[in-house]
Amino acid sequence: MEDEEDQQKVSDLVRELVIRLLSSPADDGSATTNSKPNLNSPHFVNSLRYAQRILCSRLTPSVAPDAAAIADSVKRRLASHGSSSLALSFADLFAKFSSKTGPGSVNNKWAVIYLLKIISEDRKGAKSQYCPSNLLPNLSLSDDADFGKGKGSSSVKPLGDNNKKGWDNGVLLVSKDPENRRELAFREFVNLVREENEVSEEVLVRDVLYACQGVDGKYVKFDGGSDDAGYVLSDSISVPRATRIMVHKLCELGRLFRKVTGYIAQSMDRFPAEDVGTVGQALCSALQDELTEYYKLLAVLEAQSSNPIPLVSETASSGNYLSLRRLAVWIAEPMVKMRLMADLVDKCRVLKGGAMASAIHLHARHGDPLVHEFMRRLLQRVCAPLFEMVKRWVQEGELEDIFAEFFIVGQEVKAESLWREGYRLNHSMLPSFISPSLAQRILRTGKSINFLRVCCDDRSWADAATRVATDIGVTARRGGFGYGETDTLESLVDEAAKRIDKHLLDVIYRRYKFKEHCLAIKRYLLLGQGDFVQYLMDIVGPDLSEPANTISSFKLSGLLETAVRASNAQYDDRDMLDRLRVKMMPHESGDRGWDVFSLEYDARVPLDTVFTESVMAKYLRIFNFLWKLRRVEHALTGAWKTMKPNCISYHSFTRLQSAVKKELDSTLRRCQVLWVEINHFISNLQYYIMFEVLEVSWSNFLSEMDVAKDLDDLLAAHDTYLDSIVEKSLLGELSQSLYKSLLVIFDLILRFRSHADRLYEGIQELQARITRSSQSSSEQGSWTADGRKALTQRAGEFLRNMGHDLEEISKEYSSLQEEFISQFPVQKHVDLKFLFFRLDFNEFYRRVSPSS
Amino acid sequence: MDPEASRTARESLDLAFQMSNILDTGLDRHTLSVLIALCDLGVNPEALAALVKELRNEKPSLSSATARSSLS
Repeated sequence: MEDEEDQQKVSDLVRELVIRLLSSPADDGSATTNSKPNLNSPHFVNSLRYAQRILCSRLTPSVAPDAAAIADSVKRRLASHGSSSLALSFADLFAKFSSKTGPGSVNNKWAVIYLLKIISEDRKGAKSQYCPSNLLPNLSLSDDADFGKGKGSSSVKPLGDNNKKGWDNGVLLVSKDPENRRELAFREFVNLVREENEVSEEVLVRDVLYACQGVDGKYVKFDGGSDDAGYVLSDSISVPRATRIMVHKLCELGRLFRKVTGYIAQSMDRFPAEDVGTVGQALCSALQDELTEYYKLLAVLEAQSSNPIPLVSETASSGNYLSLRRLAVWIAEPMVKMRLMADLVDKCRVLKGGAMASAIHLHARHGDPLVHEFMRRLLQRVCAPLFEMVKRWVQEGELEDIFAEFFIVGQEVKAESLWREGYRLNHSMLPSFISPSLAQRILRTGKSINFLRVCCDDRSWADAATRVATDIGVTARRGGFGYGETDTLESLVDEAAKRIDKHLLDVIYRRYKFKEHCLAIKRYLLLGQGDFVQYLMDIVGPDLSEPANTISSFKLSGLLETAVRASNAQYDDRDMLDRLRVKMMPHESGDRGWDVFSLEYDARVPLDTVFTESVMAKYLRIFNFLWKLRRVEHALTGAWKTMKPNCISYHSFTRLQSAVKKELDSTLRRCQVLWVEINHFISNLQYYIMFEVLEVSWSNFLSEMDVAKDLDDLLAAHDTYLDSIVEKSLLGELSQSLYKSLLVIFDLILRFRSHADRLYEGIQELQARITRSSQSSSEQGSWTADGRKALTQRAGEFLRNMGHDLEEISKEYSSLQEEFISQFPVQKHVDLKFLFFRLDFNEFYRRVSPSS
Repeated sequence: MDPEASRTARESLDLAFQMSNILDTGLDRHTLSVLIALCDLGVNPEALAALVKELRNEKPSLSSATARSSLS
């Protein structure tokens, strides 16, 4: 109801207004009826209708209803036109006007001000013919907007259109063109375009968009036959060459897209049957996500492609249309990405696992931030399974690698070689962003866990693992480390490695008493426990002189046990003594017990990781050498026992002929001298081996053991220990000739011992006979004279023979020793120099040797 | 009508008329009052301005005899 009332009011007022406007405004303030136009004249009716039409149009004000702002703009205008006093009074009036509130005041103040402003501008424009202001209110923002004296109708048109100034200027320029030359030109262009193109650009754009999704369009179809398979515009359609090239360029996206989707589909199809691998799957999923982004863009583009292209089509003025050129701009970035993806797909087709990650990583090292970022995003996804594997491996020792993608490969091995051969790095699968040293650490950490579990039967590693996990959880986001966070990975690995290694060494030292076992081996296998060796030598000596095939190892074991009981070794840990065994090496006929006898130490799991068979073989070689040395020494001591001067009472020989006696003296003397010489050599050699080789190596080993941080360090320390012993005690490759001549010397010494024994046996027999004969001679004088003569003769002969033999041995020995010593100067080992110095400290041998 | 309100209305009209004069709109008091009334009824000022302009343009051609008073 109110609306109708208002309508009525409005129409009345409009009528009044029209009358007022059409009548002469001669008199101010009062409408005189005489100048009132004829209310029935067609002109008036027309005007009224016109007014109503204008007012009824759905025009809404184009400015915000803000009176102050409009007043401000008016003020500024007045001021800028040089009438600042007017501006001031206007401001004053406006302030008063706007302060009027309450009943009777004007409600729509802004509208009034605005109305005044526009009318004023209009009038000014009308007065100065060449600079008419326009009716477009929004253009009043730019006062000097200069445009031609547009026809009223054309000026009203864009009202209500919130267009920007520039755009309006463009349109206005068109309307400025008096002959519409521009429009004509456009029309001509459109015709030209129509003529040239059999297919409109819109259709082509749509086709290209189809092609970009891997679908054949109406005109653009996939051509797989030619060399460069791709989408091409069929030749039968006539379009300008430029368009054809453009379409071809745009359709590259479609070709790449096909490749990528093809790869994804192929991988997904193969997945359950063949091993695509988790990394491959991750790549597919990452690519799929990238494609989702791409689809979103395509959806937007498709929506835009339905808008008609202006100029070419009749219905102009749509903002978001899509021409081929616009399309080219739109898809420039997706094209780069798609190219990268296609490139990756090509590269990764045959790769998997770590190798795939490496390949992608190579691409990520790119200077273009776009490419770099893209690859980084992709790698983050691709590497996720790898990093998950690393984490499982490092924290729990689980090798979860169904598709053989991980850079650590496990093998089924026996417990003793688990550490050395159980796991290894597969370098082809090692992603290039993980450094080899880090990979080694990763390998060792997991290996330690497995070693603890399998060999040490240790369950507490699980606690350690969970501790590590929680620790890492504090420092880094749980499970949130991925590509590009190598620091986090390193800290994770280091943290885990530190704990596990510490725990492992703890177990090896404390529970498995590694150090104690090493010491036991040194004592028994390396003959460090002197009294034990002495007893053993004494007890088993007689048995070992038998041929090897007649010796029972059971008996020897019993003897070994006896030797242990008799010596200080009995106070050692029972567990270690139990591990000490007798071992008979394979023997040939003619071998003596000495050649085949050896001791063995049974290192059980897990220590057999350290004391592997090859290590034990080295120990065995050292033992054999030391055993021989000891045997020689033992023999020499035995010889000394018989040779001691007080064993032979000289007075019993007083009755012998002086010639025989002289023979006896010289033979004995020769024997003593030779013994002393040999003893000097052997005791110095033994001193060298015991103190300069074994003890020094042992103390080095101990200090290395203390600083060892993980099992690998420990193994290396032990290896150096053993190698240094082997090298220094002439068992190495370099000193083989030395070793051989040494063995010959040993043999000779043993021969000397048997000769010396025989000599002293003979002398004692002689002594016994002389004593007997001297007793009997007092009873039967004549008979004994003969006997005594024969006895003297035999003694003389025996002594001569022995003397001769000793002479030979002595000669042989000195030549052998000379040969042995002469080899020293050419030896490379520093330690052998010490031995040389010891053996020849006063340069006696060097002087004697004819070569020098 | 409330005398107070009518006073306010008159003063408002005076003020508007003065402003109109400053801005050299060429409107007389009565026309202005009609326009203000229309504005108060919610008619778009832009449309009103357009109407004023159009009708003024036509007027000279219609009644050129009438001397246009240029208000200052």
